[in-house]
Amino acid sequence: MELNAKIPSGPLSEKWDTHRFQSKLVNPANRRKYKVIVVGTGLAGASASATLGELGYKVETFCISDSPRRAHSIAAQGGINAAKNYQNDGDSVERLFYDTIKGGDFRAREANVYRLAQVSGNIIDQCVAQGVPFAREYGGNLANRSFGGAQVSRTFYARGQTGQQLLLGAYSALSRQIKNGNVTMRPRKEMMELVVIDGRARGIITRDIITGEIQSHCADAVLLCTGGYGNAYFLSTNAMASNVTAAWRACKKGAGFANPSFVQIHPTCIPVHGTFQSKLTLMSESLRNDGRVWVPKDKDDQRPPSQIPEEDRDYYLENKYPSFGNLVPRDVASRNAKEQCDQGKGVGSTKLAVYLDFADAIKRDGEETIFRKYGNLFQMYEKIVDTDPMKDPMMIYPAVHYTMGGLWVDYNLMTTIPGLFALGECNFSDHGANRLGASALMQGLADGYFVISTSVGSYFGSETMAPADTTHEEFKTSEQNVADRISRLMRNSGDGPSGKVTVDEIHKELGRLLWDNCGMARNKEGLEHALSRLPDLKKEFWDNVYIPGTGSDLNQSLERAGRVADFLEFAEFMIRDALDRKESCGCHLREESQTEENEALRDDENYSYVSVWEYTGADNEPNLHKEPLVFENVTPSQRSYK
Amino acid sequence: MWFVSFVKSSIGKKIIMATTGLLLILFLAVHAFGNAAIYMGSKYFQIYADTLHGFPVLVLIFGLGLLVLFIAHISVGTLLFLESRSTRYSRYEVNKRVVENTFASRTMPFTGLFILVFTIIHVFGFNIAAPAGVPISVTVKEYLSGFFYSLFYIVSFVALAIHLNHGFWSMLQTFGVNHPRYNCLIAKLTIIVPVFFLVLFGGIPIYFMTGAGSAY
Amino acid sequence: MNTIDLTLKIWRQKDNDSLGNFETYTLRDITTDMSFLEMLDVLNENLTKEGKEPVAFDHDCREGICGMCGAVVDGVAHGPDKEVTLCQLHMRTFNTGDTLVIEPFRSRAFPIRKDLVVDRSAFDRVIQAGGYVSINTGGTIDGNAIPISSETAELSMDAAACIGCGACVASCPNGAAMLFTSAKISQLALLPQGQPERKKRAQAMVQQMDAEGFGHCTNEKECEMVCPKGISIRNIARLNREYMKGILMGE
Repeated sequence: MELNAKIPSGPLSEKWDTHRFQSKLVNPANRRKYKVIVVGTGLAGASASATLGELGYKVETFCISDSPRRAHSIAAQGGINAAKNYQNDGDSVERLFYDTIKGGDFRAREANVYRLAQVSGNIIDQCVAQGVPFAREYGGNLANRSFGGAQVSRTFYARGQTGQQLLLGAYSALSRQIKNGNVTMRPRKEMMELVVIDGRARGIITRDIITGEIQSHCADAVLLCTGGYGNAYFLSTNAMASNVTAAWRACKKGAGFANPSFVQIHPTCIPVHGTFQSKLTLMSESLRNDGRVWVPKDKDDQRPPSQIPEEDRDYYLENKYPSFGNLVPRDVASRNAKEQCDQGKGVGSTKLAVYLDFADAIKRDGEETIFRKYGNLFQMYEKIVDTDPMKDPMMIYPAVHYTMGGLWVDYNLMTTIPGLFALGECNFSDHGANRLGASALMQGLADGYFVISTSVGSYFGSETMAPADTTHEEFKTSEQNVADRISRLMRNSGDGPSGKVTVDEIHKELGRLLWDNCGMARNKEGLEHALSRLPDLKKEFWDNVYIPGTGSDLNQSLERAGRVADFLEFAEFMIRDALDRKESCGCHLREESQTEENEALRDDENYSYVSVWEYTGADNEPNLHKEPLVFENVTPSQRSYK
Repeated sequence: MWFVSFVKSSIGKKIIMATTGLLLILFLAVHAFGNAAIYMGSKYFQIYADTLHGFPVLVLIFGLGLLVLFIAHISVGTLLFLESRSTRYSRYEVNKRVVENTFASRTMPFTGLFILVFTIIHVFGFNIAAPAGVPISVTVKEYLSGFFYSLFYIVSFVALAIHLNHGFWSMLQTFGVNHPRYNCLIAKLTIIVPVFFLVLFGGIPIYFMTGAGSAY
Repeated sequence: MNTIDLTLKIWRQKDNDSLGNFETYTLRDITTDMSFLEMLDVLNENLTKEGKEPVAFDHDCREGICGMCGAVVDGVAHGPDKEVTLCQLHMRTFNTGDTLVIEPFRSRAFPIRKDLVVDRSAFDRVIQAGGYVSINTGGTIDGNAIPISSETAELSMDAAACIGCGACVASCPNGAAMLFTSAKISQLALLPQGQPERKKRAQAMVQQMDAEGFGHCTNEKECEMVCPKGISIRNIARLNREYMKGILMGE
């Protein structure tokens, strides 16, 4: 596997312009001769489909939901960053670039991040022009809020529904292209296989979720915009259908997978409250502006929070990090909550939660002010937990939220398979080892609106491709593989459920295994244990899973089974990557690599690289390739929030 | 053509309902003011009637106009009723409305039908088959002194009030009149307008039935 | 931890061409902290273990924003709680011994795919008819070039909050999609960016809405009452105005 990041030469600030000038173009009249498949309709997929459709390419877009508008980008709450400097507080492209690189603990590629910062402003202009109702100041200008990891206000927002509004903006642009006939939309289709012909991505095999029909789709390029793999942990803030299948299938066909162990765990989520729980709900990070995090000093303290006096409370974040206090970055806050709970000081029925207390803020600013700021979040919390945060402190616990790892891509967002591109959370490119708040939306839209059109044009313009269609041998073989796999999944189901396991039971077990050993803090022993458990779990799944129904109609158990089967295989990559990286960085804390004060200790000398894993067959260990990270414009420093 | 697509569209039909409804309310208002002369005595009422009928062409034009409005309101209403019939009943095992007080809106077609029957009887009684040579002021008293005839009138006016209770608000909504600043006023008007007509029209049969109009 | 026992009467239907019927199931020891969909998960896990086919239902984000979930519970779309989607409805709303009747969103324009799963692609086609600003990527003016008052932006956002779940259609006695359509039209009509296509948009979207087989609005307000995002029928009034302006004064 050859890793050529194809970073343009020249000074950092000129790379993107140089690259666009040097990239090949496709004549407008010729564009309709090229067909592009887009998988996924989140921010990246919808914006890429719309943009390529506008340019005149023939686009075929797929999603697993009933409508492209359901993609999980819709759930993003906080906002989207852009280096507009509307607040005159000293923001600039350079600063956004630096904050993002530093926030990612110096494990991202300089050139990609700089480009992201450069186009961030265009994203806002684009969205405003589409009619996205961003929050406004009284004078009519766009409003900004501040977010973690930055000292400037550069986050644009639409109430607590920024992701929804941006996605609906991209969805409307996509709808326009569907109407114009440039994009063919295929909802309720799940990508089951990538088809590679002569070393190039030439199409996909899908399963129709309603009818079970397996179909081939041929194209000249394939764009994967299929999000992250957080659901490997079973419980996460991801949507139920979020999965790794598309990316994993691509990986098995030769695409390298970068940094699979980089998983962001968000500190403020509603805690797990029972074994039946299906997903975790995020509470916006902004709550930490006014909430104070604490646990009882005595781990056997059974009193309700209101009866625990000040002297018996441990405000551990404020005590440990006097200058940042409750506003330390996500990874630090998460790790400390885990540490308290590991010591048995957790609260609530499961002892896996800490308090987030607004009593002092209410005393200081008054009930009205606090409610105006956080009312909608408090109501959401009350709906789920049935206690009122205005009276009793909230209980929070970290939860899997975002995956910085993803398919390895070069500067063009092309994977190691020519013609296969990965956009948005699906790729690994911009966030390093930790993503800053409000940067995911920025990256998805940057890739889809502004980057991919250059890349696709350049790919088509510089290569001549042999014509192909779905009658090609590869399509037939791939279709057969998909059908075989489905019948293999269903093979245990003929003789009834007795003595069998359900899909969810295996998924929950995998989730627990990963959460305990490859979660917020990792160590060699735990990771090796998890790695050794995986084959048994896989065997148990394939030998014993019971899937009711048939493969030839809507069968949600079968859909889940296919995804869990892929998570089971993919988990090995996550664990192996975590094992390989013996340093701590960003989200990835190796307990062996800590400072004296239990902070993450990076090892730039040995680990300043992107780890790229190559699939080498079911029974073989994957190969590790390294893309060294070169920092010419910033100097990696130790993050300190004391 | 724009008009065809206008009439064909769901909103277009609603606008026709609202416009004809509004014009019918205006007619009712004029009619009610004229009839109010009854409360002043038979002399004044007769003067009003005679003055009105002193312009036969005008009466004819207005009469025909009214007929057109009625036909439009009823036919479009029937069309909408039939269109929604397929979805309206027993769609769900449990039929439940979340909105309280849906009586008026649910019974729109039926109160409308009742008003139609009333209108036919009313026009027939006071116009087409009115006793020849008898002044209208006398005929009114004769008819409305009868208990069942009056009761029918009162029930009809109640039906009208119920129809207007939803119809008036619905009309404004269809015209796009919905603003938080005025919604409170509109909510009051949905009571005031029907009650106004109920009192003014319903008062007449009561006026005669109860004997309050004996000095008429 | 409080638990309740329930009887569920759930609509089962193989596909759009088959006839459906109600099946009755009993569930014991349902934790009241569960969401409604988690309760259905428990039912499905039980059914799976009994070798029966689980109840198909649409769901995705489970935090009330994707608009994928939805069913009619005891005659009310998204169930008895106000301004929540089915995934945010919690079992503490119910009492032990309750019988819950669960039916799919029904509308002529929403064919049933299986059990509680319906096809809402009609909504997508209504948006495709004109629910956008016709601009291409790139070449847009600066975001601050056109000031928009904070109040206007908020009003537009009120309408834009629609999640496209279809509860408005399911609850409307006439199966009308006016609240959905009006939300998109209002969002764009209020903003300066939506002005150039304003007249055309209302006509095109209403035409598509009618063509999909949605009913007409008789101002019953049911949609507003069940809307999980609290979208007001004031938007329908605005749609009516937009439509009138478009068809009476459009070019």
